[in-house]
Order: sequence, then structure tokens, then C-alpha cells
Amino acid sequence: MSEQFPALVVIGPLLAALMVSVAGWLRPRLCLPLALLGLGIAAAASTGLLAQVLAHGPISYRLGGWPPPWGIVYHLDNLNAVVAALVSWVALVNLVAAHRAVLTDYPDKIGPFYTLYVLAVTGMLGMVVTGDAFNLYVLLEITSLTGYALIGLGGGRAPLASLNYLFLGTIGASFYLLGVGYLYIVTGSLNMADLARLLAPLHGSLALTAAFAITLVGLWMKMAFFPLHAWLPNAYGFAPSPAASLLAPLMTKVMVYVMIRVMISVFTVEFILREVLLSQFVVWLAVAAMVGGALMALGQRDLKRMLAYIVVAEVGYMVGGAWLGNRLAMTGAILHIINDAVMTFCVFLAAGCIFQKRRGTAFEDLQGLFKKMPWTMAALAAGALAVIGVPPTCGFFSKWYLIRGGLEAGHWGFVAGLIFSSLVNVVLFFRVFEIAFFEPLDHGHGHGETGGAVALTEAPLSMLLPLMAAALGLLALGLATGPLVERVILPIIPAGLG
Amino acid sequence: MKALALAIVVLVGGLLISATVDFPDWGDPASPAALHVSPRYIEKSLEETSVPNVVTSVLADYRGFDTMFETTVVFTAGVACFLLLRRREPRPEPTRVYRHQATGVIVEMSQPPESEPAPEVFQRIDDDWTPHDLIVMNVCRLLIPFIQLFGLYVIAHGHHSPGGGFQGGVILGASVILIALSWDLRTAEMRLHEVTTGLMSAIGVFIYAGVGALALALGGNFLDYAALAPLLRVDPIAARSLGIFFVEVGVGLAVMATMVFIYKNLASEGRLDQGL
Repeated sequence: MSEQFPALVVIGPLLAALMVSVAGWLRPRLCLPLALLGLGIAAAASTGLLAQVLAHGPISYRLGGWPPPWGIVYHLDNLNAVVAALVSWVALVNLVAAHRAVLTDYPDKIGPFYTLYVLAVTGMLGMVVTGDAFNLYVLLEITSLTGYALIGLGGGRAPLASLNYLFLGTIGASFYLLGVGYLYIVTGSLNMADLARLLAPLHGSLALTAAFAITLVGLWMKMAFFPLHAWLPNAYGFAPSPAASLLAPLMTKVMVYVMIRVMISVFTVEFILREVLLSQFVVWLAVAAMVGGALMALGQRDLKRMLAYIVVAEVGYMVGGAWLGNRLAMTGAILHIINDAVMTFCVFLAAGCIFQKRRGTAFEDLQGLFKKMPWTMAALAAGALAVIGVPPTCGFFSKWYLIRGGLEAGHWGFVAGLIFSSLVNVVLFFRVFEIAFFEPLDHGHGHGETGGAVALTEAPLSMLLPLMAAALGLLALGLATGPLVERVILPIIPAGLG
Repeated sequence: MKALALAIVVLVGGLLISATVDFPDWGDPASPAALHVSPRYIEKSLEETSVPNVVTSVLADYRGFDTMFETTVVFTAGVACFLLLRRREPRPEPTRVYRHQATGVIVEMSQPPESEPAPEVFQRIDDDWTPHDLIVMNVCRLLIPFIQLFGLYVIAHGHHSPGGGFQGGVILGASVILIALSWDLRTAEMRLHEVTTGLMSAIGVFIYAGVGALALALGGNFLDYAALAPLLRVDPIAARSLGIFFVEVGVGLAVMATMVFIYKNLASEGRLDQGL
């Protein structure tokens, strides 16, 4: 069975999603167990894959039995095996936490909600494991479509935010598709390894440069890279909390993964290092993302929106690291994909726990929470320390690699921007803690329900346990940085990088 | 702002067009796209899959995994519409519906007006009085079975002629939407219930992925229809052809059901009562 793991990672959740949909019509009680089963299969298979890849090197899996480039292959190396394991575990843990919120808010739509949830994860996993440029686009469609629907379900201006996201996301995905089309015209192939081989003699051609540029812009739109980030804060800020804590940690990270995959496996490092002017420009954009995201986060009066702007800044870290053009920075960028997924998950899940009890995440809703929800707030504090980059949480180590990479590249702007945005994160989170610690609950709470102070207690256990797991994951990842870098990340960084 | 957007569009468009200088000519038999993967499809398709229609064999077999997810995209769109639109609470009573005679625009009033609008401008319509058109209704009643028969033919004949699951599914779905348009949404809903369409769209995709998973269970790779040969008691090449047929049926079912499902939810604002 273990040789079928690459297929199981994707079709386990796909089949489960279809069964969840059927169960939604006939037996809604079965939806959650089926969804758990599907994501459980994905998590088990992706963990098995990671072990296999680490032990025996890259795996290639032929779908339909056809050899590349005629059929579609899944190509797994350390990079996508580790991202696939990350995506499936975060999604599984979040599903456990999601159940209470779904039951409270959408009791009559359990079936479709879980169907789309599991399909979103299927799409992300498919994008991560595939070795085919067009197959990636098809899975991108699924993830995007489910994302729009899940976000649009939220309250307030969520439908409008989702529509905005739909427009920009569709443009981004179309740009990626157009880039793939250009590549197909000049090479006749869709397989990534095959493309890398066929593109080598074409370096320097205008068509190739154009294909590279539009593919990148498309991916940047999907990952909300500054200045293409405008859709993200509203979309993640207004999304229902179980959807926000799925999409915010994973979606941007998967897209950063795709960017790195396209850079190193399709266009190859030799091609990118030629475009020195472009890489300088991109790193400066990343600096703008870090600084701009941090400054805009300062202006927010709502926890979820503040976190959404932090995501914008974090995308800057990863893109900048990937484009600095040396091993240390690339290591930092890949390490930060893993770390940032877990820490964003932790803080968004904490926000979801708060929302579950207070029905809001505006700063006024946070008053007195250290007394009333000590465990949630402790996890939020752990997540905050990781986002700021305090050792021994994982955030410190990836920033450390990124700063060293920036110094080696002699790019002082990047180093300064990274340190500046980390310092702003300190201000952001201590402002939140100040409100939650010092301002009493029944004082100035704008909803006119002072009696609510008594009823408010800790979030339900089914949400608290996943949150604790995420918070502990931050520490575990931080402590495991050494082996993670040595065994997983360094072997996949192409030799061409200085 | 508009000028800026126009400038960007012109700039990017110019860039994209200037890049086409490096492209091979359209239809050039020496272009990379015509030399790299397609010769094998054209030369070997019949021999490897016993399907004369190369488009079908590429879509449903060589790159069948993409097509499975394209079907999933259709299914996802249906579920997304349901999740966002479907509302169980009835329309606020009392409502009155008027049709503007000149334009045909339907106006709904949640509070009954104090005096009825002039009937020559706004015509009152409701469930008791729906302006059925005898000719349209009966022509559609006669046509719909043939449309559906043709849809089934398009699905089943996709191996040999242009067609297949997507096209046939669209024809079948359109026939049900035609019932809703020529009669009314409730008639269509009685013929093909919401739960049925919801189940059918999931089951359609499940047939596709299930055939793939069955191949996996029988020892092949996912979607390797040749592995179905022992089960179907045919040789591996014929098993590929049959496998393609099974997944096309799944696609047809999913596309048809999802089209009807989306139409019903959109046309009646998720209430599934009166519709357009």
C-alpha cells in the first residue's frame, strides 16, 4: 500500500468530500466522522510519504500508469513532502476545532460546509504534490472556489469581501494559466521536470521572460504579495472563524510553496539568477510588504483584521527570502513556510475561540479575557511570541536564517525591514495583551450586556485542545529546527544558489 | 483611476503581444507543441486505448486525472451555490408579484400596496394565475424527451465522435432547465427533486473517482483502467476503453445535476419556490 501514498494523499480526502456531501443530504451526523476520516487518511499518507522521501529520496508516481510527459505525474521530494504533511495536519487539527463553531453558526448547512472544507484541503494537497504545471492549475481552481464560498458565508461584509477576492483571485489564476499556456506554446510540454529541460536552451527569449513574469504576477495575486494584497484583510477578517483558521495559515503558504517550486523546478535557478534586476526589484517589494503590512496592522481595531495584515507582512518575509538568491535566505524562506503556517494557525484559532465566546473580535471584545479565558490567551501569547520571533519558538529561527541570508546578500533594506516589522509586531501584540489583561470585562463593553460577564468562560474543550496542540507545535518546531534544516531543507536547495 | 487602469492594460497587453514574436506560427507543423507530446497521442491512442477519438482518450485517459478534478470543480460550484444561497425560511408573507407589461420585469412587493397599480402597466401574477403559454408548453413537452435521448447519445458516443460527459451532461441539464422555463420551477422540482440533484452531482464525481480507486484496489495506479481488466473479463486495452466510458457517465451525471442545482438556487434566490 505504501507505494500508493502519493495518490492517497489527494484521493482520500476527495472521496471523503463526496461522501460527506451525500451524508449531508441523508445523515448529517455522519459528516464530521467522514471528514475526519478523509483528512486522517491524508495526514497519515503524507506523513508516510515524508518518511519515505527522507529515507529513499524523491518519489515519482504515474497517474493512470502513463509515463511523463504524456500522462500526469506526482513528483515528491523533501520540499513538497514536508509541505503536504504540514497542510494535512493543520487542516485535520483545525477540523476538530471547527466542529463546535459550525454547529453553532451553520447547523443546517453542515454537509456543504464540510464538503467544501475537505475539498479545499484536497486542492491544496494536490497543488503541493503535483509535478505537472497544468494539474496544479486545476487544483488551484478547486481551492479558490471553495475558499470564495467559505469566506462568503461569514457575516457582515463577508459576501462583498469574498466577491472582491473572487475577482482578484480569478485574475491571478488566469495569469498563471496564461503563463502555462505560453510555456506550452514554446515547449509543447506541461510536465515540470520536462519543462525545465526544454526551457534551458530558450533562456533569454522574450516569450520565456513574459511567461515567467505573468506566472509570477498571477501567483503573487493569489498569495497577496504587496501591492496585490488588497483582497486579503477583508476576506480573512470577515470569514467565519473555522474557515479563517484553515485558509489564513495554509493558502498563502501553499502559494509561496508554488512560487518556490516554479522558480527552482521549472524556470531553474540559472534563469532566475540572470534576472538580477528583477530579483532586486522583488526583494524591495518584499521590504515594502513587510513594512506596509506592519504599519497597516497598527491601524486596525479588530484582532482578526490585525492578524490578516500580519499575514501580508509575513508573505513579504518568504518572498524576499526566496529572491535574495543565496542558500541561507532560501533556507529561511522554506523554514518560514512551515513555521508561519503553524503560528498563523495558532493565532487565528485563538481568535476563533474568542469569537466563539464573545461573538466578536474587536479590541473592545478582548477586555478581561486573561481572567476569563486564560488558556486561550496563553496560546495566543505563545503564538504572538512566535510571530514576533522570540526564542525558543519557531519564529525566531526562520527569521534568524532570513536575516543571515539578507546580510550575506548585502541587502540592508531587507534586514532593516524584517527587524522593523518584528518590532511593530511587539507593539501590536502587547497592545492586545494590555487590553485583555488590564481592562476589566464589564467596563465599557459596547454591546450593552453586562450580564454576559458571568456567562463567559473558557472555550469548549474541542477547540481548546487543538489550540494547545498548535501552541506546543510552535515550541516543538523551534526545538526541531536543527534536524529540520539539516535533513529536510538543505538537500533540496539547488546547487546553483550561492 | 480609470486612466491609470487603461494605461496598465495597454502596457501589459503590449508586453504580452510583443512576446508573441518568439512564438512559432499558428498551425506550424514544426512547432514544439506539434512535435513533442501530440504525435504519440495521435499515433498510439487507438492502439493503446482502442478509442478512435483522440480528444476523448487524452482527456479521459492520458490526462484523466485533470478531468476528474474539472468535474470536481463543477461539483464544487454547485455546493458553493447551495451553501451561499439556499434559504429554508419561506418568503415573508404577504408578498405580491407584478409583471411590468412593457419590459417583462418582475417586481415583488413584500408589503401589499394600498391601491393596486394600474393593470395596463403592472399585471398581477401569482401561483393561481400563471400565464402559461399553450404552444410553448406543449412544444417543450414534445421536445424534451428527444433532447434527453440526444444527451445520452452524446455521452455514450464520445469515444467515436465529438462529445462525451461534459457536453452530454450539459444537454441533459438544459432539458430540465427547459422544463422549469416553459412550465415553472415547481414542475421541474417535482420531476427532479433538490435532494436527487444534490445526490446525483456527488455520485457522478464519485463514479469517476471510484473507478480510479477501484483500479488502485486491483493493483494498478490510480485511474489506470487497464487494471480493471480482470474484473470486466476483457483484455487491458478494451478495459481502458470501458473505463473511459464509465468515467464519462460519471461526468455526465455530475454536470447535468449540478447545472439544474445551480439554476434552481440562482433562479429562486435559494428558496426553490417560484423562480423566474
